[in-house]
Amino acid sequence: MADELSTGVERPVRVKRPSTWAHYRALVKKDLLHEMHTKDMLTSMGLYALLVLVVYGAALAQAGSQLDVQQMAGGLLWAAVLFTSLLGLNRSFGHETADGCLDGLMLVPMDRSVLFLAKATANLAFLAIVEVVVVPLFFFFFLGTVGVAPSWPLLLAVLAVGTIGIAGVGTMLSTITVNTRGRDVMLAVLFIPLSFPLLWSCVSAATAVLVGTEGFMDTFTMSMALAGGYDVVMILVSWVLYDFVVSA
Amino acid sequence: MSAVVAQRVSKVFGRRKALDRVSFELPEGAFLSIFGPNGAGKSTLLRVLSTLARPTEGTVRVAGIDAKEHPDQVRERIGLISHQSMLYADLTAFENLMFVARMHGVVDAEDRVRTMLKAVELDHRRYDAVRTFSRGMTQRLSIARALLHDPSVVFLDEPYAGLDPHAVDIFDDLIDRMRAGRTFVMVSHDLQKGFDAATHVLVLAKGRTVLFQEKESVDFQEFSQLYRETVGMGVA
Amino acid sequence: MAENRAKGPRVGGALDRFAPIGLAVGAVLALVGLVYAFTVTPLVNGASVNGVEVINGVAVSNMLLLSQKIFYWHMPVAAVSFVGIAFAAYYAVRFLMTKDAAYDVRSKLCMEIGLVFVLCTMVTGLLWTRFEWGVWWTWEPRLTTYFILMLLVFGYFILRNAVADSERRAVYASVLGILILVDVPICLMVTRLIPSSVHPVVFRADSGMSFEMVLPILLSVIGFALVAIGLFRLRLRAQILEDRLTAVQEALED
Repeated sequence: MADELSTGVERPVRVKRPSTWAHYRALVKKDLLHEMHTKDMLTSMGLYALLVLVVYGAALAQAGSQLDVQQMAGGLLWAAVLFTSLLGLNRSFGHETADGCLDGLMLVPMDRSVLFLAKATANLAFLAIVEVVVVPLFFFFFLGTVGVAPSWPLLLAVLAVGTIGIAGVGTMLSTITVNTRGRDVMLAVLFIPLSFPLLWSCVSAATAVLVGTEGFMDTFTMSMALAGGYDVVMILVSWVLYDFVVSA
Repeated sequence: MSAVVAQRVSKVFGRRKALDRVSFELPEGAFLSIFGPNGAGKSTLLRVLSTLARPTEGTVRVAGIDAKEHPDQVRERIGLISHQSMLYADLTAFENLMFVARMHGVVDAEDRVRTMLKAVELDHRRYDAVRTFSRGMTQRLSIARALLHDPSVVFLDEPYAGLDPHAVDIFDDLIDRMRAGRTFVMVSHDLQKGFDAATHVLVLAKGRTVLFQEKESVDFQEFSQLYRETVGMGVA
Repeated sequence: MAENRAKGPRVGGALDRFAPIGLAVGAVLALVGLVYAFTVTPLVNGASVNGVEVINGVAVSNMLLLSQKIFYWHMPVAAVSFVGIAFAAYYAVRFLMTKDAAYDVRSKLCMEIGLVFVLCTMVTGLLWTRFEWGVWWTWEPRLTTYFILMLLVFGYFILRNAVADSERRAVYASVLGILILVDVPICLMVTRLIPSSVHPVVFRADSGMSFEMVLPILLSVIGFALVAIGLFRLRLRAQILEDRLTAVQEALED
């Protein structure tokens, strides 16, 4: 009997080049499995977000009237989301480079921009899971007594658009910073200014729907359009440039 | 047909020349050992041959396919075993291999993965995370990983690094079993081991070819003497 | 190898000889522009006050009106800085297409020039806001955008310092350079269209600049552009000599 390690004559190994979609699914599944085993990103992000809320508790303890808290809520919420995602993004690429797994992926015949889409999808999923826990907690802690405008369900749209942008740009930048010295700080140094326009418009949209003053819809649609534009442009550029970064 | 051909391969960035017009031709079934002191360009050459890096100039052909023109077709035919495991430490052995099999599009992936796990005698540990494996077991699993899609050319990058003597013996045995019908290119610091396995030897220094020849014409004493003279320091 | 070098960008020749002259001429032009602005160009719309007077309920002094003169340097410097960044991104694209290290060097130098001019823009901008709007800082669109741009350019150089492998450093820096160029206009647009609620956006009615206003601006723009080009060529030559020196040193050490 032929040895299984030798190249197969008796039982040839058949290989059929998978579709891009199959690659995408395999990659996303791998990241989800990894997270299921380690729970690394979810626990660290969840805990961190909770602690940020605790800090807010002290920070807002002396805040006055209802309007103050409502006006600040959008900004505070996004600050929490941004810092939390920074923490998660930092970890999202570590296991790819730790044992040279990235080289293994580079040896697979495939369209490499799938790597970007898959990684961004996985990051988006983890961020969404954390938000599902943290945003209700934020409402509970800070907006429970104050209340919010009836337009608050629109916040979900803001969160969706903002999180997609964060996941896209963050995936690109974390791939760069994973190979740098002092990568934690490096990611923040690049990520915060680069995502500033997104942050600015998301805060504006969130504040508009939470306060709900007259004519808030105008501000909301304008902000959302800009945030959406940022998402489209930045994700497209990142997608195109990703091959260079990941092959370097 | 030659299995691996390098023609005047150079890798230059700015004023740094990592590789300077390296040429060789390797027939099918051969085993090439690449030697050289640190910084000679061995690893760069291996990365260029295995499509992980693009040469600045010159051509690389694997199984007759131009690696610059059709890197994906070359990738279908090569496997890499390195001192890094290329395995996700937190996934199980089975999950790791399944992932690679799916990425390469192996038909009947599960079947193939089980066969390979049995072949490297890790079947009993297939549901354990790679993190819990010893260095030798991890190395065996990375052999299985590299062979999943049945490559005809296998690259070995310092495969002995960090292995204890017992694991080295097992590894050598596995390599022997793999050799039928395959071509090998190995970078190693271990002069004796590399020389024993080889059919061809290539010595690099400062990115240039110092020596490329078939082994049968030389014996080890002669070769190591020559190596010391031409390369000077850095003999392991 | 020789053919490759010929195809790539070159250094030396007329442009390099021109560099110091360009630098000097540029400096003179920029200076002339400023002096002209102070001496010939009238104060805003020809207004002039003795001491402090109240116009439209705002106390206006000659100092406030004079502060507007900063504009004659501020605007050109800002324009040149952005052109510098744009060229950095252009060379970054060329680098990614060719993987020729020479383009990376140029991209980096353009970004350096960009940084110098961005810093100058920030300083003149701060002075201007201080006198014009009476505050040192406000999250006004242009100011915010330039602040973000400055942080991004800092980030660019921090990133360059944090990557050990030279080829990888070049790729990362190029990608970031392109991202910066894409991000900055979005930033300006976002901050302009969504004003912060604390400070009202000051839209200046800059319409109808007289010839006396246009001329010094034009002089300064050309002047600073020449300064930037001169600096770039000089830095490029220095950088290439430095690289050559490092290569020789390395060869000697072996």
